[in-house]
Amino acid sequence: MTSSPARIFFKTIVARAYPRVMAANRQKTWLFFDMAFPVVGALAMVLVYEGLHAPRQYLGFVVMGGAMLAFWQNVLWSMAAQFSWDRGNGTLELYVISPTTFEAVLLGMALGSMFTVTIRAGVILLLGSLVFGISYAAAGTLPAIGIFLLTLSALYCLGMLLASLFLFYGRSAEHLANAMQEPVSFLSGLYFPVHALGSYLGAAASLVPLTLGLDAMRQELLPGTPVFIPAGVEALLVALQIPLFALLAGVALRFMEARARNEGKLVTRWE
Amino acid sequence: MGVAIARRVSGYSAAVRLGWAVSSNWTRPLLFIVYSVLRPISMALILAVMYAVITRNAASARPYLAFLIIGTAFWSFIQEGVSEFATGIVEDRGRYHILKYAYIAPLGFPVFLLGRATSKLASAAASVVIVLLIGSLALHLDIDPLRIDYPLLALACLLAFVSVVAFAITLCMTLLAGRDTHGYGEIMAQFLYLFSGAIFPISVLPGPIAWLAALSPLPYWLELCRRTILHGRVYEMFPSLSDGDVLLRLVAATAGTVLLCVVIYRWTDMRARRMGYIDMEANW
Repeated sequence: MTSSPARIFFKTIVARAYPRVMAANRQKTWLFFDMAFPVVGALAMVLVYEGLHAPRQYLGFVVMGGAMLAFWQNVLWSMAAQFSWDRGNGTLELYVISPTTFEAVLLGMALGSMFTVTIRAGVILLLGSLVFGISYAAAGTLPAIGIFLLTLSALYCLGMLLASLFLFYGRSAEHLANAMQEPVSFLSGLYFPVHALGSYLGAAASLVPLTLGLDAMRQELLPGTPVFIPAGVEALLVALQIPLFALLAGVALRFMEARARNEGKLVTRWE
Repeated sequence: MGVAIARRVSGYSAAVRLGWAVSSNWTRPLLFIVYSVLRPISMALILAVMYAVITRNAASARPYLAFLIIGTAFWSFIQEGVSEFATGIVEDRGRYHILKYAYIAPLGFPVFLLGRATSKLASAAASVVIVLLIGSLALHLDIDPLRIDYPLLALACLLAFVSVVAFAITLCMTLLAGRDTHGYGEIMAQFLYLFSGAIFPISVLPGPIAWLAALSPLPYWLELCRRTILHGRVYEMFPSLSDGDVLLRLVAATAGTVLLCVVIYRWTDMRARRMGYIDMEANW
């Protein structure tokens, strides 16, 4: 009995999402690691604002930024660098000879990660808000949730694109992921309003969905946030990034897979 | 005696070269430098923007900007010396499977670790210089290379490096007990960030935590770095203490750190041998 391509596609998504959800929660040390890193980083920034005697509103910026940092870290380490690691431990060649597609594998990784990291980010947001006494505008909750879902979709499509680009990297994939952490934290305004970056730098930074998505959510939840672009326009731009990054990811995957086959890179271990 | 010393020096320099090769031979030197400085530069820019948003670049707040930038610049030593070093040793065991050979080699395991840590500290130096250059040129900090008190800066850095290396070596021996401790060096560096006075004065911390932070050598080291580079044009964490007093506290805190680390190292080393942690399969 043969399975239809669509059935294989969806079964692959579920199969790849499963370890992302289950294994991530089995490994208790990583549960701690995933939450501790953004919390400690956000705490440091809160204390910087305290040192500068900043208004309390800015603490809300930091806590929301800290929660969203968990997603960016996940995109970098569990999406972008994943194929490079899969190649190192021999899983990538199994993906290639199986009847499924890379897209299905990546979608499974993305969905599993989204679920797991959303719970962790929720804990970070809740703890940060309680500890620092931050309140949010109730009226902005629903629009913020909508923008959050759009941002996640765009962010993980970007992760799929990066995964294909990272396919050729060996050890440099880790260094690249490491090097992309702080620059994106700066450009996406994780700890300050994006407005402060100015028009040109802010526009360039908008290529990362986190920038516009986070700014729009802050506008909805933290009234008085300096407006970079109105939240509705930001949400629209993030929505446009979803098909754009998905399309680019598909093209990049085909190109990189063909190149990797030609150069025999699909089976290279731990270079 | 002479042969033993020569062997240790040779082993130490081999460990430094190995550390440098593992850190840098995955790419070209220029790209390696770009990657190395991206992180501290971005961190400095984040802090500069946060500062500008709150103070609107008021002249009266300039000493605080200097405080942030110099703290961020010198923090690279801790980032590399603690986080990257611990990750490197965990990788030596689990990924490259060479730790057991380093352990049984005749040069002595602490010498090997010392060499690996030294290479990490050396690779951080470029980041420090570049962030200070950016602070001087782009953020207009009044840093004059001819007015820096180099002897005091060198002494402060030497003491700090001794304590950082002692801490990092002890930390990595402790982390060997875990099967999946990759990334814990990074977390530990983040915690030290909170206690070091790198980006905010330790007086901002809640009372008991501020007291604990005052036992660490890091705030005194960073205070001396700031004072030796900017001489009174920088926010001071310990305004009531003279340079000599701060140095004295740095010496005392360093001695305490090294003593504590030696005790913990010996215990973790014995435990690692007994439990087989040195060559444990870490399921990389």
